[in-house]
Amino acid sequence: MKKDIAAEHTNTGFQISRTRLQARPATPESFHNLPTPARPLVDASDVVVPEGYTVEPVMAGLSFPTDITFADDGTIFISEGGSSWPTRPYMPARVIVRHPDGGTEAITMNVQAGPRGIAWRDGELYMALKGGYHMQIAKYNLETGKLSILIDQLPSGGWHEPGGPVFGPDGMMYFGNGSVSQQGVPLPAGFTVDLAKHPNAHDVPGQDVTLTGNNVRSRDPRLPYPYLVETGAFKPFGTPARKGEVIKGELFCNSAVWRSRPDGTDVELLAWGIRNPFGMAISETGDLYVSDNDFEEKGERAMAEDPDRIWHIKNARQPFGSIRTPDWYGFPDICGDGLPVNHEKHLPSRGTKAELLLENPPPWAGPAAFLEQPHSCLCKMDFCKSDAFGFKGELFVAEWGTLAPLNSPRPEDLSHGFRVIRVDVKSGTAQPFFHNRKMGPASSFGGGGIERPVSCRFSPDGKSLYVLDFGVVQVTPGNMFGYAHTGVLWKITRKEDQNG
Amino acid sequence: MDNATQAILIELDAETRSKQLNRAETWFRNVQLTQASYRQLLEDTVEKIEEPHIKQYLAEMAARAKRHEEKLPELFAAIDRAPSDTRTLLGQVAGKARQALGDFIALAGGTAGPWQDLHQVYLSNYNSMSALAVAEQLGLALGIPRVVEITFGMVAEKSTDQLLLQECVLEMSSMAILYKDGF
Repeated sequence: MKKDIAAEHTNTGFQISRTRLQARPATPESFHNLPTPARPLVDASDVVVPEGYTVEPVMAGLSFPTDITFADDGTIFISEGGSSWPTRPYMPARVIVRHPDGGTEAITMNVQAGPRGIAWRDGELYMALKGGYHMQIAKYNLETGKLSILIDQLPSGGWHEPGGPVFGPDGMMYFGNGSVSQQGVPLPAGFTVDLAKHPNAHDVPGQDVTLTGNNVRSRDPRLPYPYLVETGAFKPFGTPARKGEVIKGELFCNSAVWRSRPDGTDVELLAWGIRNPFGMAISETGDLYVSDNDFEEKGERAMAEDPDRIWHIKNARQPFGSIRTPDWYGFPDICGDGLPVNHEKHLPSRGTKAELLLENPPPWAGPAAFLEQPHSCLCKMDFCKSDAFGFKGELFVAEWGTLAPLNSPRPEDLSHGFRVIRVDVKSGTAQPFFHNRKMGPASSFGGGGIERPVSCRFSPDGKSLYVLDFGVVQVTPGNMFGYAHTGVLWKITRKEDQNG
Repeated sequence: MDNATQAILIELDAETRSKQLNRAETWFRNVQLTQASYRQLLEDTVEKIEEPHIKQYLAEMAARAKRHEEKLPELFAAIDRAPSDTRTLLGQVAGKARQALGDFIALAGGTAGPWQDLHQVYLSNYNSMSALAVAEQLGLALGIPRVVEITFGMVAEKSTDQLLLQECVLEMSSMAILYKDGF
């Protein structure tokens, strides 16, 4: 009798429970003498915020934190991403819960990779999780302990991240899913993410596309001998495409943004062609903005000086259920500035220049609402919706910081990012808000300031901005090392006499 | 939100930290054991091989293995612990190595000459390289760059040696199995 393997692997969720967490009160002195040599010092005097604001560290020892959110009563939730950036070491995938009475616990889950985005709504914790060949949107009820998998069909298993979930004033859930490939096709550089763990992972378009057949040649690091292989767009590594081949667009694609009802039903594809829609935020007027990261200047399909960007997802303003054709924002062929990847402005000084992958691509939905320096690595973001903090209506964006010299050979890219900026999305301009006195990660010059901001979120009372600092990640021309227990939560508050 | 934002440290208290460092120390002893076992097997095998090129490759590899083994006490220093006593370790190595060799011979019937020893070295380097790579992960997980500095270079050299060992094992397998001859 044949076994129904597919039925046996139906996703019924994963083990999840509330557990005790080793958390101890910290004195100001303890931040100056941490037991982690990678980050022995956290010192607010080494960072800069505008006049009229104060900053203080309120949590240290976090391992690869990815997002922060709040319950209405002020409970703080912080997700730790498990296997993240880089994928090793794996640390417990969990959500740390800090209750208003000071009690601390963890929501632990037995899932590789882990939670990358969290949101609180109507008494339940929503999570976007990475891991395996499909990203998931799940919700967890802290009272009943019930885990519900809302969406689990979004093709993943590659380099980029889930986005959201965030909830709009329309009550709908908005979420994203980044591309599998870094550069338009899976290549050896992402070995530990896609080729080793997910050799069959590939990008999936949101609309029918015709391919140019421009395959990318590389060596295959999986095989006993370094064979040369060709890889085409929307194909697993080592699978070439044919000129004129049509790839069917799917609702459940990647490099995309969707909305659905809060229970995950009636999923609607709003946009695709967004390389890494990790940060998502909705303004008071209901406009959805999504952060996106640039192509890299390395390897077998290299692009130079592609700006990081924030997209305005215009389809989010259309009535729910009315989108017949998603907007396309350029991946895998258009850079953030609207120029094609093979334009002379984007010719690489390192690596092989890119060729176009799509024949007759869809209309481009740009321009971007905001362009940032290449490799700043725009991450999670939040709109200021309160006069109490100031800068109401502006978008605060965490910049994780560059992976140069790994992903860019340009000296000017070495200090991009490592800060929080505030963006006026109407004018497309930005100002730095929170950064080190000397630009770059604090560990690179022995300071006690910021390493890599990954998320920022305003408290429910609107008076404070919490900035989640991923921790120490050292980068060399050939690799990157992430150190656990080096993540920090910073709190920025407007001084009382400045408080409007 | 006053209590909620009273500053806290997550898993950085002395008790939790000490417990995790003790567990890392146990693994580092495993690293010492596997590396000493590999170095000993490699030195023995160099003597058994006559072919001058392979003999030279392995002799150079043995020098690297000795250098790696001598560097391992620095792992313990990085976590403020003492390394294992070498004499005790060598006694354990002898026992473990004999057991491992016995397991292998059971699987490798029908071969002749030093190829069995070479294959054993190939597996042993893989084993000790994996142990070192795990130590590197523990350094990252504990936030201790010194552990990573010590291990990364050694893993890279052992990985390079592993490719060379694989080539020698595969090249000489026909000599050992089909011709039942040494080299």
